[in-house]
Amino acid sequence: MLLTAFDLLLIGISLMVFLAGLEKLKRSWRMGRKEACRRDLKGFLGYLLGHGKILQNPRTGMAHLLVFWGFLFSLLMGILPQFGLSLPLLFAGCLSLLSDLVGAGLLLGLLYFLTRRIKSDARTGPRRVILPVALLLVIVLSGLLAEGTRLSIMETPLAWRTPIGGLLALAMPPSPLLMQIMIRVHFFALLIFIAILPFSFMGHLISGSLNVVYRQKRPRGALREMDLGNRPGEEPVVGARSISDFTWKQLLDVQACVSCGRCDEGCPAAISGKPLSPRQVMGEIQDRVRLSPSETLKKSVSSDALWACTTCMACVDRCPVYASPMDKLMDLRRAKVMGEGLLPEAAKDMMRNLEIYGDVNGRGPAHREDWAMHLGVPHISEEGLNAEILLWVGCSGAFHPRYRETYGAMVRILQAAGVRFGILGREESCCGDGARRLGDETLFRSLRKKNVAAFRKYHIRKIVCLCPHGYNTLKNEYHGDFEVIHGIPFVLELIKKRKISLKYPENMRMAIHDPCYLGRVNGIYDALREAAVSVPGIELRELKRNRENALCCGGGGGRMWLHESIGESINQLRAQDVAEAGVNLVGTACPYCLTMLEDGINALEMEKPPRVMDLIEIIDSALERVY
Amino acid sequence: MAERHVMRIIVCVKQIAHTYARTGKELNRHYLSPEDAVFRINPYDELAVGAALRAGELAGGGRISLLTLGPIIAEKELKRCLALGAEGLYQIHMAAEMDPWQKSAFLAKAIDKIGADLVLCGKESLDTRNGQVGALLGCHLNRPFVSGVRDFHGASKEGGLLVERSAGRGKREIIRCFLPAVCSVDAGSIRLPVPTYDSMEKSRNLPVQKLMFDENMVPPKAVRTRIGPPRPRPKAPSPPDSELNAHDRIKELLTGSRLEKKGEMLTGSLSSQVDGFISFLELNDFLNGTRKEPEG
Repeated sequence: MLLTAFDLLLIGISLMVFLAGLEKLKRSWRMGRKEACRRDLKGFLGYLLGHGKILQNPRTGMAHLLVFWGFLFSLLMGILPQFGLSLPLLFAGCLSLLSDLVGAGLLLGLLYFLTRRIKSDARTGPRRVILPVALLLVIVLSGLLAEGTRLSIMETPLAWRTPIGGLLALAMPPSPLLMQIMIRVHFFALLIFIAILPFSFMGHLISGSLNVVYRQKRPRGALREMDLGNRPGEEPVVGARSISDFTWKQLLDVQACVSCGRCDEGCPAAISGKPLSPRQVMGEIQDRVRLSPSETLKKSVSSDALWACTTCMACVDRCPVYASPMDKLMDLRRAKVMGEGLLPEAAKDMMRNLEIYGDVNGRGPAHREDWAMHLGVPHISEEGLNAEILLWVGCSGAFHPRYRETYGAMVRILQAAGVRFGILGREESCCGDGARRLGDETLFRSLRKKNVAAFRKYHIRKIVCLCPHGYNTLKNEYHGDFEVIHGIPFVLELIKKRKISLKYPENMRMAIHDPCYLGRVNGIYDALREAAVSVPGIELRELKRNRENALCCGGGGGRMWLHESIGESINQLRAQDVAEAGVNLVGTACPYCLTMLEDGINALEMEKPPRVMDLIEIIDSALERVY
Repeated sequence: MAERHVMRIIVCVKQIAHTYARTGKELNRHYLSPEDAVFRINPYDELAVGAALRAGELAGGGRISLLTLGPIIAEKELKRCLALGAEGLYQIHMAAEMDPWQKSAFLAKAIDKIGADLVLCGKESLDTRNGQVGALLGCHLNRPFVSGVRDFHGASKEGGLLVERSAGRGKREIIRCFLPAVCSVDAGSIRLPVPTYDSMEKSRNLPVQKLMFDENMVPPKAVRTRIGPPRPRPKAPSPPDSELNAHDRIKELLTGSRLEKKGEMLTGSLSSQVDGFISFLELNDFLNGTRKEPEG
């Protein structure tokens, strides 16, 4: 089609409206505070070419792949003829064939999306968005019909270059008027689509792409540092009390959300019937940005929803555009706790214990090394020790009766391997994971300061930690000049280097429950399995939901201290996965998971309930001891 | 327009060195090691701040001031209390150790000076457990005193404040108390809020207003002559791990572990736990009355 002056005018108008929409989108991000983000164009190209993240959900990902490439290719094929290029006949024929096939793929993809969005129940599935998808469908259909009519006029319907168009030509009358109408419909629909793009759901083409370009580069497990106005003249920002408390990147994150519902599919709170839907949280903030940006966010997310998040990162892991509902929830929690002074009653004691005693149980530093009595565990400062590693114990290891056993097992392993290690004992405080995830950033910072001072005092360079929450906090949120290793990879290395040998077989069918803060947050999956199979006699089976798709135990994000009164118990849902796997042992590597799974399995009242053990305990029980 | 009366509330808060453990080895330090104590506000006094907030809210507005006696040893915790909703912090600057009579007398003098419709304090302090200051304050100030207050129910139609108090054995009574009054607060339905970041920042910069009195003005009436610190309690070592092999278990026992308690943890649903408990009672002859109590 050759463009007339009127067409050019229409194109100009369409582009003007598009630019106005773009400005509106930009304004919505600019409502947020400053945040330094680095561009990653290379990563963005990889993301687009591979579509890997989007293909995490294979069916929808494939449909997106067809639509994305189909649309881009068709656009190029529409623009190229305007330059009057003369291409070799064979090459032009191949391009035409490709264009035809891509058009058919695009049509299929669009039909899939349209039915998905039409059938969707807004409460549980993706948002019902029809107009932009239908408009895309009109563009594609009119294009194909115009091509079919053109071929029908040319009387070469089944040419190899246009198989789909050829088939359509058989059904189309050889009418030049019809062809012109189809071309015009195609052209106008395209212009309308371009004009409404930034105003509609399709705005995600812009915001989603930018969100991938500016994706977060900080470690996944590190929560956003709160800006407490440490520089003169700066006002502290206590969580997200209003839209303007979010940073521009957080608002871009919100705009990028396509409400596809993948986050809900993986969210343990949503699965277990709690009132939290990460998708709806993003939707609420989107609406607030659009309709009433000056209002407070107090009522945007209900308290029940806000406190239901286990910070398991399933929503973050699944999001195809790298948006993070959890990041918004954490800022809303901060605003609730530090801004309004509202903390769930059940968590108040724990927080107060942290303030006064520095541990979640309120036992105090004087009792912090009781667990190590008679185990021959030296303090890090012990003369002549020259410790290679600091064994971080944490509140669970020091005080939880069940997890004390795991630390006892770890001590036996380290002693058997001849590792020179020490503990901080009374000088250790809680890592602050619970305080931070329950919204009290100042408390977290005071605990961090205390611990970092202790690390500096003893020139700590290497820390081994068994609790994944402590591991994540020390590694990603302390910003210290020390190396932090989780106990499982550390012990696995000892096994590989033959520093310890596992002699006594454990004849068990075992499944691994991946702790969220080891797996999804820090990418440690294989080490758990390798450590498990290094124990003679272990037959490893996978649970239905494993690795990236593993269901949370329900104890993270401070949920360990909150009551679970709405919906099903998350730990019982996970226990059902275990029951279905037909195993007699569940291995994990987290004190919360250990407790939650034991409780969940007990509640199922199975005839032969599987045992839940930390992998460290399993390795210790197979350890060859020299007496 | 007549100025609305704002209820003036004073909360007496005691700073204590709370000894939560006794792990030291030196006799001359009373077997205390520095890690065995934390400096904090007496928890009942913290509750009194919560009660003051509640009373102020019911009165349609209250001006809460905190009053402490002695040197500032728990400044951070005092400021935290202040951030809960108090507007001023007064300190009676005295270093000498005093008996409850003297303490309450000086507190009463300070309260007279500051002015208050309602004076609140905790029912007792964790360190001395005297529980006298509230009552003696009522005596010094010549005001009615209500002990063990659990909650406030607002103003009575007949005048005065409706106060809910613990009357022992789970009983609760509502008392009509005429203001100005003194109340000591017990744990009850009063919930303490969490201080916000802004209020914490504000309280951090709030100066402590010092009140000076002549220490010899009030002579003591009941003087402590001797204090016997409790003997150090040896820590209970962890029980032998039943998962260990016999050699390790014996080794653990020889190194001072205590014997594992006999018992069974009831698990499963609530009903199955109840069934398990009943069958345990039946099995051990607790239910049919044939079990004999051990002698001695």
